[in-house]
Formats: sequence, C-alpha cells, structure tokens
Amino acid sequence: MSATEAAPGRGTGRAATDAPAAGAAAVDFGTADAAASAPKVSGRPASGQAAAGTASGAGADGARATVKQRAELALNNEFLRKAVRFTTDRLRSGRLEAARVHGNWDEWRERGRQIRRHTIAHLDYYLNQFADNARANGAYVHFADTAEEAVRIVLAIAERKAAKTVVKSKSMVSEELHVNHALEAQGVEALETDLGEYIIQLAGEPPSHIIIPAIHKNREQIAELLSREAGEPLPPDTAVLAGFVRKKLREKFLAADIGMTGCNFAIAETGSIVLFENEGNARMVSTVPKTQITLMGMERIIPTWADLEVMATLLPRSATGQKLTVYLSGISGPRRAGDGDGPEEMHIIIVDNGRSRQLGDPEFQELLHCIRCGACLNVCPVYRQIGGHAYGSTYSGPIGAVLTPALKGNVAEWDDIADASSLCGACYEACPVKIPLHDMLVYLRRRKVEGGRAGKLEAFGMKAYASVMGNARQLRRALKLGKYGQKPLVRDGVIRARIGPLKGWTRYRAFPAIAGEPFRERWANLRQELEREARPMEPDVHERLEAALRRREGGTDRHGERE
Amino acid sequence: MANANEEYRRWLAEMDAASRRKQQAFLDHIAARLKRPRVTERPDHPFRGAPDFWHAFVWSLDERIERFIEQFRSVGGHAHRLADMEEAARFIADKAREMGARILLRQREPELAALGLEARLPDVAVRVWNDDPEEDWKARAAEADVGVILADYAVAATGSIVTLSAPHKGRSVSLLPAALFAVIPAERMHTRMGEVLARFDEAGRDNLPAGIHFVSGPSRSADIENDLTIGVHGPGIVFALIVG
Repeated sequence: MSATEAAPGRGTGRAATDAPAAGAAAVDFGTADAAASAPKVSGRPASGQAAAGTASGAGADGARATVKQRAELALNNEFLRKAVRFTTDRLRSGRLEAARVHGNWDEWRERGRQIRRHTIAHLDYYLNQFADNARANGAYVHFADTAEEAVRIVLAIAERKAAKTVVKSKSMVSEELHVNHALEAQGVEALETDLGEYIIQLAGEPPSHIIIPAIHKNREQIAELLSREAGEPLPPDTAVLAGFVRKKLREKFLAADIGMTGCNFAIAETGSIVLFENEGNARMVSTVPKTQITLMGMERIIPTWADLEVMATLLPRSATGQKLTVYLSGISGPRRAGDGDGPEEMHIIIVDNGRSRQLGDPEFQELLHCIRCGACLNVCPVYRQIGGHAYGSTYSGPIGAVLTPALKGNVAEWDDIADASSLCGACYEACPVKIPLHDMLVYLRRRKVEGGRAGKLEAFGMKAYASVMGNARQLRRALKLGKYGQKPLVRDGVIRARIGPLKGWTRYRAFPAIAGEPFRERWANLRQELEREARPMEPDVHERLEAALRRREGGTDRHGERE
Repeated sequence: MANANEEYRRWLAEMDAASRRKQQAFLDHIAARLKRPRVTERPDHPFRGAPDFWHAFVWSLDERIERFIEQFRSVGGHAHRLADMEEAARFIADKAREMGARILLRQREPELAALGLEARLPDVAVRVWNDDPEEDWKARAAEADVGVILADYAVAATGSIVTLSAPHKGRSVSLLPAALFAVIPAERMHTRMGEVLARFDEAGRDNLPAGIHFVSGPSRSADIENDLTIGVHGPGIVFALIVG
C-alpha cells in the first residue's frame, strides 16, 4: 500500500471528491443474488429477530415474533430508520437518474423480462446445457435439492481438502443455506470479505440493509470493533479503517484454502459464471485460493453472453444507479494449463431449495425471473419504515414478502409478511424485469383467506363491509350512524383516540372523520353545478391557461423527472 | 501423500458420477413442474441480447475515447489519451517514480516489454508475470505496488477495461497491486459492451479463457457510514492510458 500513501492528491483523495452522483452507490453487490437482505446470524425467524433486537438495543424474547413485533423494534430505532431512509433515497434516485440517462428504459425492462421468461420456461434445457459445458470447462457440477444437501456437499469438499479457512464473497444463496454456521461447526473458519459483511460478522449481527449491510453501525462503533481485531486502537477514520480491513483480509485471501462465491448469472452456452461487485473481493475469492466453490440458485441461467449485456444494463443501474459495477467477471472453469493463477479446482453447486415449487404455478413462476437488484426494497414505503430485519428472513422487502413463503413452502408461517405491504405497486414500477410483485402479494392474501388462515375478526369485518357497501340504503344508514357516533371522538376534523379497530392506525396518525355532508349526499347538487358551469370559459381565462401550458411544454424537458 | 491424492481423485470421480445421475432426476423434476416433457432440442430464442435499436448505436473513435475518459474519471479513475507507446512508457515511469513504487509487475506481452520499463526505472524491481513457473506468482503480485496490463478490449459507454486471462496474463496483475496501469490501444475501444460480449459467443466455449474481467474504475465501497472508500480490496489507483 505504499504506493497509495505516496500518491498525494491522486487516487484516494481525489477520487473520493469527484465521486459521481449516481456512482455514490459503491456497493457490495454481492453475488448471486445481489440484494435482498439477510439476517446473517441466522435466517430462522426466531434468532434473526433476537439478533435484530440486540442490534437495536431493544429486548427480544426468543420466540417467533410477528412482522408487527419486529417492525415495532425497527420503528423505535430512530438511527436505523434514518439510515435506511437515507440509503434507500440515494439508491432510488441513483436508479432513476441512471435509467433516464440510459434512455428507452422500458424497452430494456421489457427485453429483460423476455429473456428471463424464455430461460425459465426452458430451464431444464438451459440448465442441462450449462452443466455439460461447465464440466467441459473442467469444473465439477453438483445438484442439490435442498439447503441441507448443498451444505453437505460444501462440508464434504472442505473436509476432504482439510480446509482451515474459507473466504467468502457475498452470496444470498449462502445466506439461505446458513453455510457459515455449518462450516464453523466443523471447525472451519468462514470469513466474509465484503467490507460491510466483515464488519457485521465481527459484531455477530445481521445486516440491516442489503446493499450497505453495516449501515446501523456508526464510524465509532466500527472503529471499536476493528480495534479489537487489530489489537490496537484505530481512529474512527474511514480511510484508516478500510485500510486495516484491506491488509487484514489480504492475508486471509492468500492463506485461505477455499474461496466461496455466489453467482449473479450463469451462461448456458459456455458454462461460465458471472459475478458483479465493486470491492474486488469476489475476484480475490475466485483468483487466489486453490479451490473455488460457487453456490448458484438454479434459476440464475441466461442463454448467451449477448443476453448478459441486457442483464448488465439492468442490474447495476437498478441496484445502485451505476452504469456498471467496478468489476464484472466471467469465469469459465478452473485455471487453464500454464495459467499462473486462478483456482486449480472449481465446484459449482446448483441449488433448488424450494425454487422448483414456483415452476408451473401461473401466479408465482415469474418470481424466478428475479435478478436480485433490491430496487423493490428501495421504493417500498413499508421497507423504508421498518428496514430489513423486520421481515425476519433471508430476503426482505416486497421480493422477500413473496419469495420467502414461496421458497419455504410453509405459507402459513409467513402469512403476516404478505400483509406488510401497501399494495401500491411501486415495486413493480421499479422492477427491471417487471415482476408483478403487488399482484403476487394479493394472491398470497387470497390464498391465506382461502386456506381459512385469515383471522375470524377480519373475515367478519370483510363480510360486514361487503354487505354495507353493496347496498345503498345500508351504507346511508351506516354513514349516518357513524356521523353521530363519532362526535365525542372528533377534534379538529380528525380522530386521534386509540380505540377499537382504529387503534392500529391512530397510534401513529390521525383518522379522518366522516364528513358532515358525505360526498354521496352532495353529488346531486354537485352534478347540477357542473352542468351549469359547462358553458364556455371566459376568453381571458382561456388565454392565460393556454399561455401557462405553452410555457411548461416549451421549457425544460421534464420527461425523465416524472419517471 | 500420493495415496491420499489418489484417494481424493477417486472420491471426486464418485461425486461426479453421482452428480451426473442426479442431474437427470433434477431436470426431470423441473420438466414435470413445468407440466411438459424434457426439452432436449435447442429452443428458439427470439429475444436474444439487447433490443434492436441498441445495435445501431455507435460512436466515432474520437467520441468513444472522449466518452470513455469522461466516464472513467467520473468514478474516480484516471484516464488519458496518449500519442504513442513511447509517451505511455514515459507516463508510467514518471507516475511510478512519483508514487515511490518499489516493485512493478507487468503482463508478459511484447507490447509491454517494448515499453522498456526496466531501463526507465532502474530503482524499481520490474517483474514479468509467470516467466518462471517455479515462482509463487500470486505472492509476487500481492507484494507489487504497481501492476501494468495491456487491455484486450475497452468499452466507452461503461468506461470498462477488459482483460482476459492466459498463461502470460495473470488475473492477479490487475487485482492485487495497489495501483494499476492499463494500456489501451485506441483501436481496441468499442462503443457498447455488447460488441465485446459478442466475441465470446462467437469464440465459443472451447476458446474462452478461465477469467474474463471488466474493470470499470478503482475498487470502491460505501460500507462505512455511506462514506465512499476507494481501494478496498482491488487497486485504489487505476490509470487507463489510451494510446493512438
């Protein structure tokens, strides 16, 4: 690192100041599944929740908590909420700007959707082609139906290799499998090498944001953690702290027996795996250790390198607003004869773990189109309030709300997650491959009701609502009743009292009172008024409006801003 | 030891045989879920690659170079257009001296040998990737202050340097040293990423290297309080030198 230090005014310092607005997102994109948050400590709801509780300093009883209880913890953690909002705002505006600059965004999204749909519809063909080609490249390919099976394969390789240390780059599949725990139980050190993941691994905590997993830690806390690791006090200075991690992990990369990566995309025609990242740790993990293990969700396939251009256009822009991540690596098997680096042995473990359950299900098959960019989290009004921990599973946000029950197959246990959405559709608008997540959330809720798992009270409420709304006379009567009944509760036109079914709402905001004269009653008069007013506009008013319209259209092109 | 190795090979072969059997069941299950027989013929892929309008998009050489430099700088990299290799050699030598580099590692390419860095930097240990198969080249790369590569391609739209692995071209050279110089002959600069990716499809599996790497600036992270850090694991200082 002497060169870095000896280059005043260049490199570090300068680069930091002219970091671009869109590129502000320097991410750890993770592989395989670039985004979606994951309680690292464990994806099991109970311990995930417990860990979240520790992180936020709130108490947590180890029992399985509901989304509501976990959200409560998050809502009471002001620092976390601010951090999540700040980060998601930045990522969201970065995405919008990148899409605007690139142009024709909807056509790219549509092409992304077409490629993903085609590949998933022919998944058996492309997966077979990929496996055969990867083997021809010299890699060992394994198939795992379940998380346990995938873990068994990893452990067997580690054992046969007598591995002491495994260095990992971020991979959502490995979070799904809880492979770190399994390795550690076998006495193998499993080290996260992404800067943020490394920090929270030291803290023994789960990530609180997908893209910036240690966002709930401030600089002082990070300095304290790293000082403990360094055995000497380190100042709370980003450059010093990152420098320490660079040096520390550099030693680990060079000493590790196994490097473990995820897989963002796998190219069927050439048997290659593709990794997107910004730090360089995924390159380290796939270049330096003698053995490489790649965990890959079975739906990660695309047919050709040409198709990768579409994914490389959609993924970084959607995740962070970058035109491309700093590193994009296509790895085709272990090192070739004569190569001076690269792994000598490469294993690719193709994991089902509940994915095939979505195939052939007209309502949910499109879930397998997901490229794990996290854009749906950044726009989700619910995620932005409660953060990733509250979802209590590996995948959070709108995609997590649908994917978790789908992967696990035990829909009943995750029923409440589908309710953690306002169904506003922002997730669909943001999705680079146009997955209709909001529709899927409705399907989930429907299945919940059909399965008889909805609350009795809710069922009764819905029935009553349907009956009242379906009959004009009953509605009139109900409105009248409400108008008089609410009187003792209304202050300044709103209800704040936390009573009965209103409690959930009024705890945080006011409930609007029923109008003195409801719209239904005013409509007859309104219509008459409108008909009277339908005569031509006064010429000068008309002229003014026209001029205003011309000004707006002639001025700046606002097309992009609206997006 | 030899025994253990043989034992391991046997185990790998068993694993492989089991995996091939499993593959059929795994894929049959997928076909069953899709409620149709296995697809064994290459399906029509009408939506291959980027949308049609994108293929028509091309910049002139000067514009490609200009855009590349703009993009590369915007992410914190350094980019310059130089007249010829002589100028590139001088540039690299000057910067290496300025940085106080002690060890420089370059790919074993004739174009880079012709830069004559050894003669220009008498106080710097200039090493050549994999010119001695006995050497531990990963360790040599890890201790190098500066890496020098010749780009195989570059992409203007994304500001990317593309480097392919080979016995004479280590992946570590563009990854482990603290600073990286990439010499990019101007004619290797393309407008779109797709122009470069198409070559990998054309080359086919047999002709691909183990590692294909797009490098689009210095290594970065925002993991500590959203504060941008440069040079976390990969090189923090990256010079793209476009020659011609």
